[in-house]
Order: sequence, then C-alpha cells, then structure tokens
Amino acid sequence: MKARNAMGALAGIAVVGLALAGCSGSDSPASSSSPAGSATAAKIDGTGKTVHVMIAANGLYPEQQKTWFGEVSDKFKAETGATVEFETFASANDELTKIQTSVLSGQGPDVYSLGTTFTPTAYATGAFMTLGDAEWAQVGGRDKFVPSTLGISGPDEKNEIAVPFASRPFVMAYNKDLLAAAGITDLPTTWDELTDDAKKLTTGDVHGLAIGYADGFDPWKFIWGMSIQAGNPILNLEDGKAQIDVDPTQTAYQTYFDWYSKDKVVDPAALGWKNAQAVAAFADGKAGFVPMVSATSRVTLDKSAVAGKYAYALMPTVPPGMTTNPGDGKPATSIISGDNMVVAKYSKNQDLALALINMLTSTENQTSYNKTFGDLPTNQEAATAIQTGDELLKPVLESSAGAIGTPFSGAWGDTQLALTNVVVQALPALQAGGVSESDLKAALQTAQSTAQASLDKAK
Amino acid sequence: MLAPSGFLMFFVILVPLALAFYISVIDLDQYTIQHWLKAPFVGLQNYVEAINDTSLLHAVRLSVSQALLVSLITMPIGIAAALATQNAFRGRAVVRSVFLVPYILPAFVVATVWRTMMHPQGLLDHVVGSVGIDVGLWLNGPTSFWSLVLVQSWSSWPFYYLLVLAGLQSVDKEVHEASALDGALWWTKLRYVVLPYLRGSILLALVISFLHNVNAFTLPYVLFGVPAPHDVEVLPVLTYVTSFQSFRFGLSAAMAVVSLALVVVPLFLYLRAVRLDSGEDRVRR
Amino acid sequence: MSALIIRPPSLTGGRRRDDDVTRLLPRPLLVTVIVALLLVVLGPVAYMVLASLNSDIGVAAGEIWPREWHPSNYLHVWSTVALGRGLANSLIICGAVAVVCALVSVSAAYVLVRYAFRGRLTVLRGLLGLQSIPGTLMLLPVFVLFASASTLLGIPTIGTRWAVFLTYLTFALPFSTWVMVTYVRGLPRELEEAARIDGASSWRVLTRIIVPLSWPGIVVSAIFAFLLGWNDVLFASVMTNPETRTAAVALQVFGATQETGALPLYGQMMAASLICAVPVVVLYLVFQRYLVGGLTAGGVK
Repeated sequence: MKARNAMGALAGIAVVGLALAGCSGSDSPASSSSPAGSATAAKIDGTGKTVHVMIAANGLYPEQQKTWFGEVSDKFKAETGATVEFETFASANDELTKIQTSVLSGQGPDVYSLGTTFTPTAYATGAFMTLGDAEWAQVGGRDKFVPSTLGISGPDEKNEIAVPFASRPFVMAYNKDLLAAAGITDLPTTWDELTDDAKKLTTGDVHGLAIGYADGFDPWKFIWGMSIQAGNPILNLEDGKAQIDVDPTQTAYQTYFDWYSKDKVVDPAALGWKNAQAVAAFADGKAGFVPMVSATSRVTLDKSAVAGKYAYALMPTVPPGMTTNPGDGKPATSIISGDNMVVAKYSKNQDLALALINMLTSTENQTSYNKTFGDLPTNQEAATAIQTGDELLKPVLESSAGAIGTPFSGAWGDTQLALTNVVVQALPALQAGGVSESDLKAALQTAQSTAQASLDKAK
Repeated sequence: MLAPSGFLMFFVILVPLALAFYISVIDLDQYTIQHWLKAPFVGLQNYVEAINDTSLLHAVRLSVSQALLVSLITMPIGIAAALATQNAFRGRAVVRSVFLVPYILPAFVVATVWRTMMHPQGLLDHVVGSVGIDVGLWLNGPTSFWSLVLVQSWSSWPFYYLLVLAGLQSVDKEVHEASALDGALWWTKLRYVVLPYLRGSILLALVISFLHNVNAFTLPYVLFGVPAPHDVEVLPVLTYVTSFQSFRFGLSAAMAVVSLALVVVPLFLYLRAVRLDSGEDRVRR
Repeated sequence: MSALIIRPPSLTGGRRRDDDVTRLLPRPLLVTVIVALLLVVLGPVAYMVLASLNSDIGVAAGEIWPREWHPSNYLHVWSTVALGRGLANSLIICGAVAVVCALVSVSAAYVLVRYAFRGRLTVLRGLLGLQSIPGTLMLLPVFVLFASASTLLGIPTIGTRWAVFLTYLTFALPFSTWVMVTYVRGLPRELEEAARIDGASSWRVLTRIIVPLSWPGIVVSAIFAFLLGWNDVLFASVMTNPETRTAAVALQVFGATQETGALPLYGQMMAASLICAVPVVVLYLVFQRYLVGGLTAGGVK
C-alpha cells in the first residue's frame, strides 16, 4: 500500500512538472529576454554564452560542413565572445520533430535553419520571433538580401520570421551533345517547345526527358509551376479558396502524364524513379533534359559521363498549350527554394542569435559558403559578384531572381501532399496506358477537398 | 523484484500514454502547439473525424492483414532455421550469425536495397522475367501490397528463429533419447515431442511479431515513400503523415489510439484462447 | 553447492553421440533448409556489398556489377557520419540496456511464474498491451516527460546517454519479461524444490538455479533488448545530441531525402550499414554458444 501511495505522489509531481514545463514554454515571449533591437551597432557581449543552431546535415559535403562549423564558431567567438554549437538533422521530418518537442518543452536550439517551403508551417506554430524593423536592422537590413529570396519570409512584410540564408532554385540541365545531334539550337522557353524538343531527342535508349515520377516532391513542383504560369496559385489566400480542380491545373497534370503515355519521351522505367534516378539517367548520357534540378547537381554531373557536355537553363516559363503567359500568369522560373533562418521565441540569447545570422549572411561569408557548398548567396552583393564570375551558374542565378514563393499558409504542407498524391495514385493507370480524363478529374476533386479542408482550418 | 520494472514502466510508458490520450481529445495542430495546454478540448471529435473522414479503417485493414500474413509466413521459416541449426556442424556458428543479418540491418537500408531491386526493369524484374513472368509495377498498384509482405518477411523472420532457438534448449535430452529408443520418425518426434515444448515460444513469437509488423513504420515509409500508394497506406504511415505532413497532432493521436484498441482487443482474446498468459496447459501436463 | 546440482538420471545406459540423438531434421532436409535460407539472406546482402563498392551514379542507375570500383567508400564513411563515435555510443547504451534488461526480466519472470498473487495475469497481459503501443504515439509525451524532469529536478536529461538508456530499457522490458516467463515456465520444478528443502532462500534459488538454467533465454532476451536500441532512430533522434548520437541516427543522414537534385551517397550508405552490422554479428558469434546445451548442461555447470 505504501508503494501505491508513493506512486500516486510521484504521479502528481510528474503532472505538475508537465504543467510547469508547458507554462514556461508558452509564456516566454521575445520581450522577456532582451530589449530587442535597441542596439544595432553596439557590440554584444556574449562571453560565456552559447548559441545553439539546428541545421540540415549536408550529405554531399559532410567534412567541409564540419570545418565550416568550426570556422563559424571561432569567428563568432572573436566577435562576441560567445560559442556556437551546431546540431544537424537528417531530414525535414527530423527537424519538425525537434521543433515540436522544443516548442512543447520550451527548451532547445536558439536558431533553426528551415527549408523554404516549411517556413509557413513554422510561422503557423507562432514559436518563432517576428522580425520588426529593429530586428531586421540587427541582421543587416532587408536591403542586404536578393529581393526574391525574401518572398517566403512571412505572410507579409510586417510579419516576417525568416532570414534567407541560402538559395537553391531549380533549373533544368541539358546535354549539349545530344541537343546538337538532334539539331536543336534554341533552348525551349515554353513547355510545348520542351515537349517537341524531347520528341526529337528520343531515339533508341536515349530519351528526351528524365523525370522522377515516383519522387515525393518533384511532381507538385511541376504542377505548381505550370499552374502559376497560367495564373493559378493553387491556394487563393485572399478568398480562402483552394483551386486544384480547375483547367490550368488539369492541363498541367495532363502534360506531365502525356510525356510518359502519349509523347513517350521518358524512359518506361521512370515510373519508379525518384529525382536521384532521373539525374543518374541524365548523368549516364541517356537523357536530353533533366528538369527540376538545383546547382548542387553539379557535384554529381561533373564526376559523370556528361562532365563538360552539359549546361543549365531556365525551365520553361510559359504554361502548356500557350505561347505567352496569360494576363494573370506569372513567368515563375522556380519555387523559392533554399534555407531560411529563424530564431526561437523561447531562446534566451535572441540578440546573440541575430548577431550570428548577421554574420552568416555577410557578403564575405556568403561568398565563401557558395564556394564550398554550391548553394547560391541570398546576400545581394555576393550574388552579383558570382553572376559575373561563373558562366555555368548564370541561369541558376536568373532562376533565383525569377523564383516565386509557394502560398504562405499553414495549409501548404497538406496541399503539396495532395498534389503529389494525384500522381502517386495515377501511376498504375499510367503504366497501363494512360490516365483517363474522368479519372483525373475525380482525383483532382479529392485533392481539392483535402486542400480546402486544410485551408479552412488555417488561422 | 517487480518494483524496478514497474516503476520504470509507470513513468516512461504509462504517464506518457496518459498524456497521449489527452492529446487525442484536444485540437492540437500547428496553430495551437505552442500553447498546447490551452489547446481547445474537443472531446471525441478527433475520433469521429478519424473514422469518418480519413482512410483510417482502410489503413487498419491493410496493416492487420499485412502483419498477419507476415507473421504466419515467417513462422515456418524461422522454426525450420532454428531446427536446422540446432545440431553442431562445421561452420554452424557462422550460419547462425548470418541468419541474423536481415534482422540487424537498419530498416531504411533494407528498404532502400529492395526499392532499388524492385525498380521497373530492375534486378527483380530480370529474375522473374527470366521465367516469363511480368509483374508490372512492384512498388505501386495491387502488387505493392505483396511487395511489402515480401520485404517485411525477409527482414523479420530471424525473430522466430531466435525465439525458437532458445525454446529448443529447454527440451530435455532424455526426451530426445526416449524418442530415439522408440525409433520414432523425425516427423513424429517433431510433431508430438518437440513442438509441444516450443508451443509457448512460438505463440509468443506470433503475438510479438504481429505487433511489431502492425507498428512497422520505416520500412513501408522508405520502400514506397510519401504519399503512399493506396494499396500500402498502412496505419503507421497514415498516422505519421497526419502528424508530420498535415500537422494534426490531435487527430494523429486519436488514430493511434483507435488502432491500439483495434489491436489490443483481439490480442487479449487470443491470449485467453491459447492460454499463453496463464500457462495453464503447462501446469496440467 | 552439491545439493543444488542434481542431474536427472539418464534413461539410457551408454553414451550415444549427441548429434544422432538430438538431431531434429533428416540430413537432406537440413541441408536444403540451410542452403535455401543462406541464398535468400545473402542475395540482397551480396547486392549491398557490391553497391557499397560502387559509385553513387552506378547504384542510382541500377547497376549490379560496378563499372567503376570505389573501395574508398569504406574510408570516407568514417568522417562523413562520425561513425566511430556513433558505434561507441550505440555499444555503450545498447550493451547496458541488454545486461540490465536481462537481469531485471529474469527476476521479474521468476516472480511472475513461481508466485501466485492477485493481479499476476493482469500484469502479464498488461505487459503485452504495452508492447502494442506505437512508438510514434509515445515520442512527444516521453520527450516532454524527460524535459520536465530536467526542469523540475535540475538534472540534465535530454541529450544524455542516461535518458536514452532508461527509455530503451523501459521499452525492452515488457517483451524481455515475456520471453523469460515462457522460458522459466518450461524449467522443471524438481531442482528448485530440492533446493528449498535444503533451506535455500528465494534469492539463492534465483541466482543458483534459475539463472544458470535460463542462459539461452537470457541471451535471447538480451539480444532483443540490444537490437531494440540498436535499430531505434525515433527516440534517439530527438533525445541525443551530437556527442551522444547513436550509430543508427548517424546513418539516418544517408536515408534523408535529397531534395536538391544531387545524388544520395548510396555507396557510403551501404558501406556504413554493413560496418554497423559487424559488431552485432561478432557479438552474436561470441554469445551464440550459450544457446547450446540445454537443461542438463546448464545444471552441471
């Protein structure tokens, strides 16, 4: 019996403990820790303090990343006296778990580096510091950044939480030899032209396009891109309406499927490919174009059979079935892609965190970061410098400038999943010969209601 | 002597479980997580939504049939492996260890390897193609369910093998000797003398293997990706997506609780039917 | 001592070769089973070995026999993911879990089997019930629990090996206890009863009779406890920091979706997984001899 009483008491303590942790997690807004933004130029003394940073593990340059961590920490120590400790996560899901647990318990990293499309969700949690004028000044001012990279920092300029740190826009790579052999001299600027060129390129085991139909992300990027170019942003945030079961989007899907079933410009095995297999096919010289790659694909391609024989180009910006963008269509070159940095509200070192972000986005650091990791700078000065220096990267920088952000809503996660789901569930039919219009319409309606339900819940 | 385990399980399992139940009755999502103690209480609404508006029941059906199939398929394989490595032969230690390998490899590696082999025109297509079979897509469509069963079986059969191997050691040597004197055939001896000894181990392995397979997440997640094809949208993947892609933590917790109930009730009926919990058959014998 | 070691009288007079008497399958069937299973297991493993020596492009393109050989994968992998530290952490944490779990579960099982008390069945069923809770449901609450323990008691929890150890131990216990229950149930009561008549205490019976007789069960439940921690990434990914990260979490980096248009490091991923399998295989090679012998052998020792 005694034991039972003791258990009961302990349980009580545990529950109180949970409650306490919850309160401290929810009641520590930015203001409590520091008079934010009072000092732009004033030196911050961080002696003895540590800033914890959560950042994506770089699978391609693991050793360089470790060196970089060391350099940043040393430099920051020299500037402020504070140490920086980096922690890495393997995937966006890992990071979300970390954010969740940190928010719930009110303890965790001070700074998070987030994927751009994940920023709206992070915003929705309300767990990150809003950047007012003073805070922007602490990281060097909004003007310091390439304008397009700021496009997904918040729902509007007054409510931004994210500082752009790295840009990784999408482009397509093409095989110069194959294009020359097929007599293609001008690069396609509309999706129809791309399809036509792809047909010319397809002979034997060489195919015009390399597409990862089974990828978890690529499909929605194609559909969103073609849709916005035709004037449909998929989520109309002003009216609170999802717009998936509409003509431009249906055409986008049809084009995407036709490459496989009607035009036959992709490898039949592509139904099982992820992005990696599509890149590998291109690297093997088996494809004319591989759309939806970033500049980091250089690492792979320069070691491959197509080294020296490939170049990057903008993906088409005119929607399928058209020769120019319609009135409300936007010539989006890519989604805004890359990494943003945010500061946690629960952080007790917010001034130091902002000082660190300021240092990381300086011209000097951004230039060296680009040299080491291949990601493009978000710092305007650094970006301009590269534009004049590297011929191969020129189209990639152009794509960065022309990139448009996905709708800034907590419902976007669900929406992109619903868009991809249409493709996933259609693959068996696609293999059997093609997706019928009625099936496609039904699938789009399902996606529509999922996205709408999620949008209705958005606050 | 039960106290230390009881204490640990109370704090690390039961208290968090209570918290999980609480999460399942509040509207916890990306918008409310920061002030989670103030998240609106919605009663059973999450449960109603989980059952009516999501593919939960479909997912439960898939998970349960997959888990049952795998548990039943791997049972004879594991038993055979244990029986075959019971007696000493040259290299037995190595064979015994090799048999363990599928069980030690990380699930995401097993899934990646099989995914590569199951690609259209991949290794598996060549193998079955050489005997004139065209399976179509392994990783999408109706076949994908069987692909899941196949890979899950490959990676989990050593579980039976280990448990049965331990169970075999409790067979008295005199029993062997007695049946040898009787001149019993190997099959008769196995069926009437040895298997009764293994009954407890095998029934236990069946339960645990089933539970393990019902809850297996990484393997289907990496093998098929997210969003999962309809035929392999198993329960753990569904709850995961609800939690980490749709950010509906409350709804996801409700799904997990429903699945828990759906699994636990038959489990207890089974325990009673086979008397695994009371061990009565052993006492009577 | 001697009183406790009672060897059951042998029914047969002469010493026959163990092999003949205890063989369970006829030789042709035995050979078939072993060869077939080796093929089934080693097929995909052979593919992994080849892939671990291949270039990333080669693996992505679905090559089976590498066109280019990259044995350097086995060198690079050590710095790519801090594999050395990960393995050390995994071995420390999982080793401790295995040992403690086996000891606790054998004593718990002994109590559950040999002592009739009310609630015994409830405990046994409850243990299996715990086993069926999905890990994803528990992740957040467990984390919150540890975090509040740390706020409340002022001791660091998150990021320490202790926290991970306790979590794994708890999740391993229900199953290990069940394994031991099934095993201990099968032990003959005669030895114990004899010891009791000699006035041995419960503790003495446990340590001198039950434990030595249960070696195979103990080894197996230790293996399961060990592997539970070894393969877990869910809890370890949020409860460890770079210093205490386990090998499985370190490996997870390879499994991350590359959203960037570059290839995952397939070769190194395969190499790393094979390297991580080695310690477990070696440990098993060492301990598998405890899976031999059976009752009488246990009693004689």
